[in-house]
Amino acid sequence: MSLNTGMAVIGCAVEAPVTEHGRSLEELLHDAALSALADAGLGFDAVDGIVVAANDQLDGRAISIMAASGSVGGVDRDILSTPSAGEHAFVMGALRVASGQYRTQLVMAWNPTEVSSFPEAERLGADPYYHRRLPLDELSAHALQASALKAAIPQMAAAAKTLDTTLPTASGSNDIQRWPLARGAYPTPATGVAALVLASEDFIADRPDIRSAWLHGMGWATEAGFLGDRDLSDAPALDAAVERAYAEAGIADPETTIDVAEISDSTAFQQLLVMEKLGLSRRETWDADIVSGRFARNGALPVNPSGGSRIANAVFCNGLIRIAEAARQIRGSAGSAQLPAPKVALAHASSGFAMQYQTVVIFGADRKGTVK
Amino acid sequence: MNRPPRVGIIGIGQSAFKARRDDASYPDLVREAVNLALTDSGLELDDMEAVVYSLSPDAMVGIGNAERLGVDAVGARGKRFLRINTGGATGISSVAAAYYHIASGACDVVLTAGADKVGECGDSQTVLNKIWDPIYERQLPLGTITMLAMSGVRYAEKYGMTEEDMAAVVVKNRRHAALNANAHLRRETSVDEVMSSRYIAWPIKLFDCCPQSSGGGAMVLASEKYIKDRHLDAVWITGVGHCSESYYLGDRMGHAPVADHADAHALRRSFERSYQMAGISDPARQVHVAELYAPFSNTEFHAIEAAGLTPPGKSVAPLREGRFDIGGDQPVNPSGGTLCTNAIAVTAMIRVAEIALQVSGRAGAHQVKGARVGIASGNGGDHQFFGTMVVEA
Repeated sequence: MSLNTGMAVIGCAVEAPVTEHGRSLEELLHDAALSALADAGLGFDAVDGIVVAANDQLDGRAISIMAASGSVGGVDRDILSTPSAGEHAFVMGALRVASGQYRTQLVMAWNPTEVSSFPEAERLGADPYYHRRLPLDELSAHALQASALKAAIPQMAAAAKTLDTTLPTASGSNDIQRWPLARGAYPTPATGVAALVLASEDFIADRPDIRSAWLHGMGWATEAGFLGDRDLSDAPALDAAVERAYAEAGIADPETTIDVAEISDSTAFQQLLVMEKLGLSRRETWDADIVSGRFARNGALPVNPSGGSRIANAVFCNGLIRIAEAARQIRGSAGSAQLPAPKVALAHASSGFAMQYQTVVIFGADRKGTVK
Repeated sequence: MNRPPRVGIIGIGQSAFKARRDDASYPDLVREAVNLALTDSGLELDDMEAVVYSLSPDAMVGIGNAERLGVDAVGARGKRFLRINTGGATGISSVAAAYYHIASGACDVVLTAGADKVGECGDSQTVLNKIWDPIYERQLPLGTITMLAMSGVRYAEKYGMTEEDMAAVVVKNRRHAALNANAHLRRETSVDEVMSSRYIAWPIKLFDCCPQSSGGGAMVLASEKYIKDRHLDAVWITGVGHCSESYYLGDRMGHAPVADHADAHALRRSFERSYQMAGISDPARQVHVAELYAPFSNTEFHAIEAAGLTPPGKSVAPLREGRFDIGGDQPVNPSGGTLCTNAIAVTAMIRVAEIALQVSGRAGAHQVKGARVGIASGNGGDHQFFGTMVVEA
């Protein structure tokens, strides 16, 4: 099933890592909201509704989205919040526009770094009886998944090592941070914020000068919560999300159809699994594809031309940043990461321990797709 | 754009809410409500295309992103799944999110579910004290009770409400809850008993406060085509709205407030949006029954007014005259409302569920005779996020 109306991303703002520390969280959110709206050529008066996503443990507020009311223009407006994942705010915003009740949505997620300990905050996400004492945090979950992938896929370990050496933050270290992940393979969390403006096709029709990244397909799904219930060397929720997104976008051959991809890359192990699931690369050719530069900015299929989360690991909003960066490529606003006129861009986002939540979004330069 | 499909409610499940549920874990409570809703709908878990998870502050269940551990309880593995949190409004916001899944054309049948163990969380106020800005307002000290006590003081000054008027709300809602097998506080009370209960935050006394409840809620929503193809019974969501106020309470007080803390400005705006969508122009005449989120007795007055059932400041006298009783012209909170049951994550969902039961004639002993058009509301944050809905037979 696809959506009732066409829509597009018409404005984006990404600030990650935030390097200037003189602003409060609310000032940071306000700046990002204004910037995304300015990118769309709009003001707050054009915003019909808002969907935000934040994490209570990282924000230090019991209902973290409360801080968004004034700072993102929410007073007297309609705000929803999806604390399950930053990328889920995009999904909810798209569904709200497609419902016909709204013509525009401002979608935002953020990741502050004032928390005294990320691992301790993340450990609160493990069930208190079985997993919390492991200890289970994002890094250990990534490492568990990496070890499962290493054991299950013969080509994985070598390809992951090769991929790590091509990334901007390659440390070259052989020290193990959390086995089998090398020190530097999982970057330090960074403060970040992402904001997007979604608009319906009728809103865009009245404004022919707006640069649009049209939504062609969208799939999202979840795995079970307990890691013990999952085969961490597989990602069936990603299979479900990809199938839906590609079906809506009419993509049968992703390798030749997709011009650029922004994908979650918390570890090279996960990135390789995701690229295979997305049909962008097969395990038999992982190493050769990486060495040949196929996924480089000037390669045949650029992956993460923005630099991905390796240059800014804005933990809770990495997913929404991937979506924003893919939309920027289509809109021609990706700055120094911009590729020459891509027609189809893919965004992949994963969240939760060992990629529990999976989301795939397809953008195109033309309006086709998703609409019934 | 294609015409959005009508969205119907086809299944409702709610626990018999209690102070404690030692017999059930948190996911067990979610599953309990899911099973009840599925049985009510006649559908199976496999029929659900997507799930909207209803959960307010993580700290209330002591697990960060506790929705992740609820995935199996709602049968969401491999399915479209996300969580909604707008504080106390979460439940109605989750029903709205499920509505958007269907109205958008993305899905035909969607489950929304959640649970809370507020009675077992240690102390909900300790959690809720941490919703305020840590620099400016947290140290006052503000809690959700002191926040709405200030609203009560302002309302009393502006419109002339007395503490006995507040007690009359409690008496009415407890009388209603005595008829509702799922309500938490079901013992009837009197104005004298309410007045003699100890002060919590003047003018709010113990009996003016909602309880801390444990239990779950779930609803199944479906498109009109899905409902008609399968000859299912349904009531229809005809109006959906949300509106927000400022974060800082200081913005609602002083000499130049953004909104007056006596009233519920954003709740009124939210109702205006729902009514416009539903084509309701005169709610005082067109609405037959209301389930309005009011966790403290004084807040039911401004909720009634924000819903347009009376003009601003004019709800006290008709309440005391019985207009909002079961058997009155326009019953408010016939279930006993939030004042008698508050499992925060699903409290506002139960408001919608109760209205759906009312307009379908299935509310049992607390049924409002002839109810065909009902309204529901939810309040969250620091009286900040408001969701409203119109449900019709």
